[in-house]
Amino acid sequence: MKSLNGFKPLAMIVPGLLLAMFIIGYPVLDLANTSLQEVSRFGQLRGFTGLDNFAEVFADPLFWDSLERTVIWTVTVVLGTLAISLPIAIILNDDFYGRGLARVIIMLPWAISLTMTAVVWRWALNGRAGLLNATLMDMGLMAEPIEWLAEAQLAFTVEILIGILVSIPFTTTIFLGGLSSLPQDSYEASMVDGATRWDQFRHITLPLMKPFINIAIVLNVIYVFNSLPIIWVMTEGGPANGTDILVTYLYKLAFRFGQLGKASAISLIMFGVLLLFTIIYVALVTRGEKDSAAKGDA
Amino acid sequence: MQPKLKKSLIYWAMLSPLVVVILFPFAVMFVTAVRPRDELFVYPPRWGFSEFRWGNFAEMWVKTNFGEALFNSLYVSVLSTALALVLSIPAAYALSRYRFPGKGAYRTFLLMTQMMSPIVLVLGLFRLMVALGMVNNLNSLVLTYAAFNMAFTIWMLQSYFSTIPRDLEEAAWIDGASHFTSLVRIFLPLAVPAMAVTAIFSFINGWNEFVLALTMIRSSDDFTLPVQIYSQVAGRYQVEWHHVMAGTVLATVPVAIVFSWLQKYLIRGMALGAVK
Amino acid sequence: MASVKIRNVEKSFGALKVIHGVNIDVEDHEFVVLVGPSGCGKSTLLRMIAGLETISGGEIVIGDKVVNNVPPRDRDIAMVFQNYALYPHMSIFDNMGFSLKLRKRPKPEIEAKVMEAADILNLQPYLDRSPAQLSGGQRQRVAMGRALVRDAQVFLFDEPLSNLDAKLRVVMRTEIKALHQRLKTTSVYVTHDQIEAMTMADRIVVMNAGRVEQIGAPLELYDSPANLFVAGFLGSPSMNFIKGRFRREGDQAHLLCDDGTALPVPAASTAWNDKTVVLGVRPEHLNLAADGQGIAATVDVVEPTGANIEVFVELAGERVCAVFSERHPFRPGEKIALGWDIDKVHLFDAATGRRI
Repeated sequence: MKSLNGFKPLAMIVPGLLLAMFIIGYPVLDLANTSLQEVSRFGQLRGFTGLDNFAEVFADPLFWDSLERTVIWTVTVVLGTLAISLPIAIILNDDFYGRGLARVIIMLPWAISLTMTAVVWRWALNGRAGLLNATLMDMGLMAEPIEWLAEAQLAFTVEILIGILVSIPFTTTIFLGGLSSLPQDSYEASMVDGATRWDQFRHITLPLMKPFINIAIVLNVIYVFNSLPIIWVMTEGGPANGTDILVTYLYKLAFRFGQLGKASAISLIMFGVLLLFTIIYVALVTRGEKDSAAKGDA
Repeated sequence: MQPKLKKSLIYWAMLSPLVVVILFPFAVMFVTAVRPRDELFVYPPRWGFSEFRWGNFAEMWVKTNFGEALFNSLYVSVLSTALALVLSIPAAYALSRYRFPGKGAYRTFLLMTQMMSPIVLVLGLFRLMVALGMVNNLNSLVLTYAAFNMAFTIWMLQSYFSTIPRDLEEAAWIDGASHFTSLVRIFLPLAVPAMAVTAIFSFINGWNEFVLALTMIRSSDDFTLPVQIYSQVAGRYQVEWHHVMAGTVLATVPVAIVFSWLQKYLIRGMALGAVK
Repeated sequence: MASVKIRNVEKSFGALKVIHGVNIDVEDHEFVVLVGPSGCGKSTLLRMIAGLETISGGEIVIGDKVVNNVPPRDRDIAMVFQNYALYPHMSIFDNMGFSLKLRKRPKPEIEAKVMEAADILNLQPYLDRSPAQLSGGQRQRVAMGRALVRDAQVFLFDEPLSNLDAKLRVVMRTEIKALHQRLKTTSVYVTHDQIEAMTMADRIVVMNAGRVEQIGAPLELYDSPANLFVAGFLGSPSMNFIKGRFRREGDQAHLLCDDGTALPVPAASTAWNDKTVVLGVRPEHLNLAADGQGIAATVDVVEPTGANIEVFVELAGERVCAVFSERHPFRPGEKIALGWDIDKVHLFDAATGRRI
């Protein structure tokens, strides 16, 4: 029985572990290998070239443009999402008429694939007949239709707004989970102590929600940093690479331009960044678990 | 006025801009899907149209090969979910019931793979599938979806499994059940809801996935729905928007309904384990 | 039915040893209570008897069979869990009949046995319900019923009453005891509640930090505790302890406290002279001394419980509790004089905690 207890759980874990290691581990090693070689556009490896691929990446102005846009994209989408989601979660956590319906509506964008959302918006934003133009013209806000996606600056802004829209449900969900775990008696005690609703938000909600806000930031950074479909479907990084972020640029290099060595190098760089964020996330989660374990003991 | 009524009105007023923006694409989708083709591009653009053309859906089904893409999406989503669950259920059970060496490292590994996004590895994955001779084969998606989903399904399942008291199984052992019997008669019946919910979320993930499907599948016969619909839009001079929108309606609405119905379980699952 | 012998049993979780060589003999038909503070190893020991924990050292014998490597289902034991562990997806009837069903007993027999147990526990009206529809007390009865239908050799109870409210706990306590008197099934009962232990047990095993402190009949332990731990654990309010230096002169002995008070104590051997010892006095053994005699004490707090009054006083620099069944009208600050019957107090070695 003793020996069984050691092996049985391992036997239960190993099959899944093998699949994950194979599907996730092999590509990482392959990318590392490829990034150090000269690669033909059909994928043949033609011998080691050291860090040439990386040098080429760093010498590429499009890489730096995409990187800059990735930072803007990630920071604005994450901050915008947080700023909208926290008040929404606080409202949805309170009791009011139609709360069930409100929750369903707010969560809707999550249910729909980013691809479909982006396709619909691409049509809605159509410069000639798009229904956004129709709406704004009906409201008298403008006289002429606007080509929303024809110019990079405007297209990128619109994509950021849609990025925020689709990130709200997930973030709100994290916050709702956090809010429901807040101790009700703290609020009652503070009411007895004479706190206003703003005081409660400032001195109870915000500090207690901090771990959830941290997790929401890290998870959103990871998701948004990696998000391809919105920009890909709406503008494919265009016009003239003007809305390219790293993932779209990477995808073009790999599957359009056949620059596999360079694409592998960018993949590895992104993998490193992702790993860094993931480690932060894991540290946050384990710290949270330790805290709650300590609370459980007390 | 009743305080609750007043509060409700204020809240709805605050939520209304977002609600409008969320519902806007749905309205666009429906209004376009049932519109006659020659009323797509009118100037000035307008919401109204002369008649409901329900026939658009049937036309779209035939012209865009929708049935085949639907089947492909179902095939990939169902099989990848089944594979992920078959591998996840024992792993989640082991995590929630046993201590074993390396458990902490394994949990960290799960958390890390949960964050690993296919896009960063897409080139490596493509080369892997080339090496395996599985490009243009839906099973390549089954394997990769299952592998990338497993961290989520294991995490979700183990957080639910941990809420099933261990002493129920112990009571069954004392009542005379073997490990296997207690698993089948006591544990599994209680775990069915959790497994169903997890399966549905895994299914939706597969249903909605885009990047890998776009990369691995090259022939239009094997396109899944997101790629199929994307291919109706991308790089075409003439886009049949009423067909595209009819397709998105059919591809998204059923999933959206199921998701809305189940979202509270996802919130609970995350509160139980994934985030806390 | 069978006896249970626990021989030099040890348990380690990794490097952490939680049970250090425990020996207990439970006789056939006996009702033994394992009692101790939380974390003392009593539940672990019970789970080892049940086969739910592996045994790291020593052996456990049920009847005449060493069961160390016997899985729980073959040990012929029944167990009542702290949280009842009722199968939520089965009716009460199926919960109680599950073990017989697993043993492939014929249906009429299962029915008869379940009905009989339900009869004893007054559960007949609830047999079709699910556990979620029952109250805490009813669930507790179902858990008992599940054990009853088994005709098991040994009943194990893991803090079965700790989730009930105080009143129900007293009722169930009596019921379990009555049941045992009727069925005479060998029982091992774990609790942290010393009153449960005192009232229910044929014999009590007091455990602390993975070791057995003392084994004996309830009143035996109460009247002559082997050490400070047992003395302090059994009895409510608990025994008063006063530390001081022992001094025996002739037949008389006293305890010299730090504040200079000399307290009368039993005459132990002169070998203890000038050693530090602990005097133990149960609150009910303190009595009011006649005028001009006894030890001076200052009343601090008075707590009437109805049946008694509990008086906390300052005596020889220590806070001491005294219980009186007479309703003395004490006021805080009042000076009184207390005394005790020398035969009823205890002396312990301050260094080892052992009784002198």
